[in-house]
Amino acid sequence: MTESRTTPATAGEADAQSGESIGDGRTGRVEGTTPEPVGDDGRETTAGESAERPRETWREHTFEGEAILSVDDLNVWYGDDHALRDISIDIPRESVTALIGPSGCGKSTFLRCLNRMNDRIRAARVEGTVSYDGQDIYADEVDLVELRKRIGMVFQQPNPFPKSIRDNVAYAPRKHGDIERGLLPKLLGRDDTDSEDELVERCLRDAALWDEVADRLDDNALGLSGGQQQRLCIARCLAVDPEIILMDEPASALDPIATAKIEELIDELAEDYTVVIVTHNMQQAARISDQTAVFLTGGELVEYGATEQVFENPQSQRVEEYITGKFG
Amino acid sequence: MARHEYQAALEELRTDVAALGDDVLAQLDRSLHALEHDETAAANGVIEGDAEINDRYLELEAACIDLIALQQPVASDLRFVVASFKILTDIERIGDLATNLAGYAIGTDGEAIADVTLFEIGAAAHDLVEDALAAYETGDADACHRIAERDDEIDSRCHRASERVVRDLIEQEAGAVDPWEVEAAIDDVSSVLLTIRDLERVADHGVNIAARTLYLTENDPALLY
Repeated sequence: MTESRTTPATAGEADAQSGESIGDGRTGRVEGTTPEPVGDDGRETTAGESAERPRETWREHTFEGEAILSVDDLNVWYGDDHALRDISIDIPRESVTALIGPSGCGKSTFLRCLNRMNDRIRAARVEGTVSYDGQDIYADEVDLVELRKRIGMVFQQPNPFPKSIRDNVAYAPRKHGDIERGLLPKLLGRDDTDSEDELVERCLRDAALWDEVADRLDDNALGLSGGQQQRLCIARCLAVDPEIILMDEPASALDPIATAKIEELIDELAEDYTVVIVTHNMQQAARISDQTAVFLTGGELVEYGATEQVFENPQSQRVEEYITGKFG
Repeated sequence: MARHEYQAALEELRTDVAALGDDVLAQLDRSLHALEHDETAAANGVIEGDAEINDRYLELEAACIDLIALQQPVASDLRFVVASFKILTDIERIGDLATNLAGYAIGTDGEAIADVTLFEIGAAAHDLVEDALAAYETGDADACHRIAERDDEIDSRCHRASERVVRDLIEQEAGAVDPWEVEAAIDDVSSVLLTIRDLERVADHGVNIAARTLYLTENDPALLY
């Protein structure tokens, strides 16, 4: 389970899904197993939500540049619960994509599909394709450890290791063998202590934490504030050189100042990385994202478009009602 | 999380903006009446009434700012608040123009301004604003397009009226030698031209109201340009 070192699951996450174990990920397509939607409109809706049939055009988002992630016809079941339905979406490189929607709409499930975190849920069944740079991440030959190095994850609750700040950042590169240090490497002339120091500094700087911790790198990370711990987790994620960073409500446990720092950081990260963020805070989605995907009841992606368009003139009446606070 | 108070505040804003619009229309009505019938008392009433219009305008502007700051409206709610904010300015400006017109009624000899066409233009501008406010209150996008078209007709009537006034001046007063007579003629003509200009502006503000209404109902900026 080496993959869990680079993207450790939080206690809360494990609690949320009983029976967690390493499963075999996606099952094959089985004809006739897709549960039929409920009723003509197909969805049981949250109280107050209008009934409408989503249109394909509401999910068509055109953008300049290439897609780093292409999701095609993704369906996810947790046992009999059809958590995600026919999700197709292209996520542009080096940008911020926000996933919003009411509780239980499937947005976190979707996020977890992007680096196969759902493999860890025995009851989860995934169909469809998720292509990362044209390669299906659910293909048999995919190395999960390598995948999760390239597509890192930051969770709602900051979850630093109970180790020093330095060790938190250097832990994964050391484990992956990217950095060697100690007596033996020193004797063999392969000691990477200097490059480790450089890596730690670079990652902490990129995570906007360096200035606050530079003089106490050997202090225990658990002594940091919540906001600092979260930025340390982002630094730890950066240490394995990802291209994509998935964030599951990364600021919801933080105060407004710490939240502002995380938001500013996300903006800076998007210059070099692709960020996909789940947030319950719609103003946050509006502030920091380039495009927004709105998931609604029943695991549907109802609307996907430029953030300005979604927040100023949503195409879907249900999305309009959700973002203006008429339900959810 | 139905945000009932927020929805009630949006409805209240809509009602209050429309009510301010109605009162400004009444001001405009009184100004036009004062111009047509040379009624100084009515004109004075309009001028005195402008302060209250300004106060209410500022209150409603503050209500829009509160909604934006405290409720962070999005989507159609955002368009509604932003459009209302802009429409309020147009309503307040129409109030100012009504005050101007009342001033002309007081400062000008009634005969100088007794031009039937002018009162027709005034009535057309008044009706245009009335219809624009009704479109705002009911969210009628189709009406907005028709209102914009009607303004073109008002513009050309204003243009023709201005030309006629200047032509009359040249024809009738070209031979005048008495400097007092010339001065009086220039004053009269200036007042009439300012009246025409202000009536045209009233209609322009009516079109602005329609343009913002179209934006708020359809997210269509077509009439803003």
